[in-house]
Amino acid sequence: MQRSKIFVKKTKKGSVLKVVREHYLRDDIWCGSKTCDVCLQQAAILEESPELESNLCRQPHYIVTDTNVVLHQMDILEVPVIKNVIILQTVLEEVRHRSAPAYKRIKDILTIRDKHFYTFTNEHHKDTYVERQPGESANDRNDRAIRMATSWYQEHLDIKIVLVTDDMENREKAKKDGITAYTVSEYVKSLSDSPELMDKLALRTSDKTTGGKAKFPEHLPLSEIQRGIKSGNYMQGSFQASRDNYLEANVSVHGSEKFDMVLIQGSHNLNRAVHGDVVAIQLLSESEWSCPSSLVLTETEKEEEEDTPNKENILKEKKSQVPKQPTGKVVGIIKRNWRQYCGILQPSLIKESTKHLFIPTERRIHKIRIETRQAKTLEGQRIIVCIDSWPRNSRYPLGHFVRALGAVGDKATENEVLLLEHDVPHTPFSQSVLSCLPEMPWRITEEDSKRRMDLRHLDICSVDPPGCTDIDDALHCRELDDGNVEVGVHIADVSHFIRPGTAIDKEAAKRGTTVYLIDKRIDMVPELLSSNLCSLRCKEDRLAFSVLWVLSQEAKIIDVKFTKSIICSRVSLTYAEAQMIIDDKNRTDTIAKSLRGLNRLAKLLKKQRIESGALTLASPEVRFHIDSETHDPIDVQSKELRDTNSMVEEFMLLANISVAEEIFREFPNCAMLRRHPEPPPSNFEPIIKAAQSKGLQLNVDTGKDLAVSLNDAQLADNPYFNTMLRILTTRCMMQALYFCSGMLPEADFKHYGLATPIYTHFTSPIRRYSDVIVHRLLAVSIGADASYPELTEKKKTHALCFNLNFRHRMAQYAGRASVGLHTQLFFKTRVIDEDGYVLFVRKNALHVLIPKYGLEGMVFLTDEKKRSPFTYDEQESIQRCGDVEIGVFDHVVVQVSIDRSNVQHQKLVLRLVQPEIPGFSVPSSGPPSAKKMKMDTS
Amino acid sequence: MAEVLLSEAERTFIVHGIQDNIRADGRSCEDYRHMELETDVVSNTSGSARIRLANTDILVGVKAELAIPASDRPDEGRIEFFVDCSANATPKFEGRGGEEFATEISNILSRAYDNQGSLNLKDLCVIPKQQCWVLYVDVMVLECGGNVFDVVSFAVKAALHNTRIPNITVHADDNGRTELELSDDPYDCKRVDVHKTPSIVTVSKIGHFHVVDASMEEEACCLARLMLGITEQSTVTAIKKEGSGSLDPESIYDMMETGKRVGQAVNATLYQKLQEEEKLGPNKRKAGFLG
Repeated sequence: MQRSKIFVKKTKKGSVLKVVREHYLRDDIWCGSKTCDVCLQQAAILEESPELESNLCRQPHYIVTDTNVVLHQMDILEVPVIKNVIILQTVLEEVRHRSAPAYKRIKDILTIRDKHFYTFTNEHHKDTYVERQPGESANDRNDRAIRMATSWYQEHLDIKIVLVTDDMENREKAKKDGITAYTVSEYVKSLSDSPELMDKLALRTSDKTTGGKAKFPEHLPLSEIQRGIKSGNYMQGSFQASRDNYLEANVSVHGSEKFDMVLIQGSHNLNRAVHGDVVAIQLLSESEWSCPSSLVLTETEKEEEEDTPNKENILKEKKSQVPKQPTGKVVGIIKRNWRQYCGILQPSLIKESTKHLFIPTERRIHKIRIETRQAKTLEGQRIIVCIDSWPRNSRYPLGHFVRALGAVGDKATENEVLLLEHDVPHTPFSQSVLSCLPEMPWRITEEDSKRRMDLRHLDICSVDPPGCTDIDDALHCRELDDGNVEVGVHIADVSHFIRPGTAIDKEAAKRGTTVYLIDKRIDMVPELLSSNLCSLRCKEDRLAFSVLWVLSQEAKIIDVKFTKSIICSRVSLTYAEAQMIIDDKNRTDTIAKSLRGLNRLAKLLKKQRIESGALTLASPEVRFHIDSETHDPIDVQSKELRDTNSMVEEFMLLANISVAEEIFREFPNCAMLRRHPEPPPSNFEPIIKAAQSKGLQLNVDTGKDLAVSLNDAQLADNPYFNTMLRILTTRCMMQALYFCSGMLPEADFKHYGLATPIYTHFTSPIRRYSDVIVHRLLAVSIGADASYPELTEKKKTHALCFNLNFRHRMAQYAGRASVGLHTQLFFKTRVIDEDGYVLFVRKNALHVLIPKYGLEGMVFLTDEKKRSPFTYDEQESIQRCGDVEIGVFDHVVVQVSIDRSNVQHQKLVLRLVQPEIPGFSVPSSGPPSAKKMKMDTS
Repeated sequence: MAEVLLSEAERTFIVHGIQDNIRADGRSCEDYRHMELETDVVSNTSGSARIRLANTDILVGVKAELAIPASDRPDEGRIEFFVDCSANATPKFEGRGGEEFATEISNILSRAYDNQGSLNLKDLCVIPKQQCWVLYVDVMVLECGGNVFDVVSFAVKAALHNTRIPNITVHADDNGRTELELSDDPYDCKRVDVHKTPSIVTVSKIGHFHVVDASMEEEACCLARLMLGITEQSTVTAIKKEGSGSLDPESIYDMMETGKRVGQAVNATLYQKLQEEEKLGPNKRKAGFLG
């Protein structure tokens, strides 16, 4: 039977098109139930006697849902208890149309055998197809189709069918047709065996159901927003909440030359936007423009309603001397980017209450109101919560509980939290990925050795941090007869094992990078490769990709050669061991000679680099000593930098640059390179100002100028000043990015930090996917491997770069978060006074860096009653109290401890010890630990 | 047109029959043959109709498209005719053989419709000077079996009656730029009023008398014919004389009178039948091309 589906649509060009689709109805679509002996199905999915105890419907029954249930109550549907659900094609198609993630989730459920979810293709069934009637909206038609299918099932089977829908009109009509229909909450409530399901119920209150006065202005409908954007009245941008102040946010406007960042202040103007949303904003008139306040505001626990206006008034205080920024307000939401958030429950004052507030780990997300009856069990647990809606009359967004991760403070839980929060794919490798691995025992085949250069006779060694198992680089150096030096950098040949297009390749491309947490490593490639076959372990034959230079004694490149090779590392050293060998005058073996040669050349290279304007930046890096039993950190040290660190680094840089030049020559359109854009001068303003306050002039015109002035910036009374300045300079920098050479003009290829015109990543293919691509490009350019279409497609490379940049950033954040977590664990049992330095001065707080732990935190200058003994000098950014002045870079002593007043939410607290302010600073709890900072600032 | 070979005796029989107001197939001089009419036969047009009269088979499709109004009529839409004479209709149409005939048909249709009274073209305007609907009327001559002009005009009328133009709402923003929004309900559309549209009635002069709806044989006996565009209100919107013979003013007058009379009746009947068909609703049995 044939019907046609007819609809009209408007094309992009503006013409109107009538589209006719043929639609065939069939009589051989089976019901999918085991109880049915009419249908000729082979493997029925729906169980013969569905067991789901419901108070409302005691007999065995199947469930039919409508589209909104699938869209919004997915967490309920995913629960293993919910079985035997009929998902109609009408519903599935509407879900696909409305939300891709929801569609993927429901498709996943449909593949789980134990869930007994069945897709009934009602749109093609001759008895359940309905045609749209005049005056009927598309939604009404779909609802009618759902009811039609439900009635059909009811007649077709002996088992009861329950229609679950939150749409009242639909329910009424269903009842008229003799269908049993419930709302989701009615139905879930009736499941007496699983009361915990109630928590997962998404709270959806439409704006119509008013309770209490509206606290926020209404959002404009999408059509109006689009018109406004077209006419230029509104602007579209992504909403970025401030970390420090919950009443402030920035919107980075898409595609506007005039304003790229617009400030939003006050809860009214923020208007229910959540970090990450794409919003439409309207600029306020220039007289209302404001500037970011230097206040640090967090949503306090017992905040009363009346409190907010006060805070907003504080925000609005006029500050005429500071240049104002474009300020706007949110008028509508274009796309919500809500995800699932990790966090904890805020303990409720009333024990029995089911309404609770959820505090997300991410500081930029508001608290979320959820309903749960398991508050007792969830206390002290990390949980995941999903936002459902944010009605106008609610102060907080409404959400529902998804699942619990584990106890707060438990390391496994906390690691899970930070992996989830940073969107790091960390599931075990799938079977299809593992099946791509070579078979063990693996050995180098004849074929391999024929096509590769045998470098096993060379005295190659690797130098890495202690405990490193994924060794991806090794070096050698030997004197040549003509007085020149041959230097080789040998990189693990990962692309030999990861062939393009395989499952393992796709997985690695998705993960993008290996993520290092303090006590855990999330590999990009399975361990067999990362720690064994690819890792250039000592005394084992390994495949490598080698860069061989002939260098003059002055470290000038005379010749460079790239080749696939077989190497056998003589020894794997740590930085410290390598340093010892270099320093040990008694050792004269080839390894020692090789290392000394490398070290000498590296120093020359570094000098050249610095002369051409490379920056030496600093960021505090720390190492934790982990107790082998409890896996708790027992000591923290900042990482020491030795000559050998920089030795290895220099040769890696050299290799990367040589490779970048080679692949760019061969593939001018599709080489994967790395660039570091020059920061705009405005970025430097804060540090120029800060340096001026200490009487120093910074010249930031070029990288070279900056490097020179950083070197000259020394203060006699503050030895740490230079490092501080470098730390601050690092924060002014732009992110280094991967990019595809065909997408940018050559002038933009520059790497600002390294002061080289072209750069790429070649040397760590085990832990970075970009390097794998670069390996492939290089292999093709030297004729060692075949090319494949995606490799030379610049659009594909561009898309890949985008993902890699994102993953890298997230991996960095996750790593930092892991350090933070361990710092917190470390202070769990300690209260210590430490030396610190002021990084920024805020209106009500000092931003202090404690170099020993690489720890940053706020010292709040206000007491509980919001009074501060200090007065804030905005111009100079100095806090004054009596004759004590605290400004940027100043040395302070702070007491570090854990605030345990809230068992669930322990946080690190810093208190001022020195300079002493009577009535404000806390007494010293002991001398600062004797160990002084050692940091290479050269 | 298709050639029919007639003997002198046959010719005399036909001419004499007409003198007595009785034609070879039993009709009187002002009678039409039976017609079969079906609308909505091509689903991807805005409106369509097919008419079969004797061996003449005509399919008409109307497509409504948005375009910019003509500069001399900024607040009106347009109607455009295009005729395709399929080589299936008669071997003479093979190659470019049908082109001249096709142009002739489309010319007379354009002339018949080119007046303020028959179609309210202002209705087709969306935004004056910017957007209007253009109705592209595509006529397919599937088979030629005499009296093609009349049948084409009936089919055009039926197709226009069947035409549904999607409703469009116009939004204007502050800067005066406009945006069109299409209704997502396929039933939300406007119609074309065909109450006053003309049909063509061809009056053929055979001997001293004239007939309407001449058969192939009668056409072979006819030396001069008058094509009249006539509405249900008996308004003559177009007139064209065809054939090698000449007509004296008196017989032109007579023929026009006949045309008006017949035109009025045939228009009324067609309109009534169209209404009847529409009342059957979407569940009517479709004959299509297989029936």
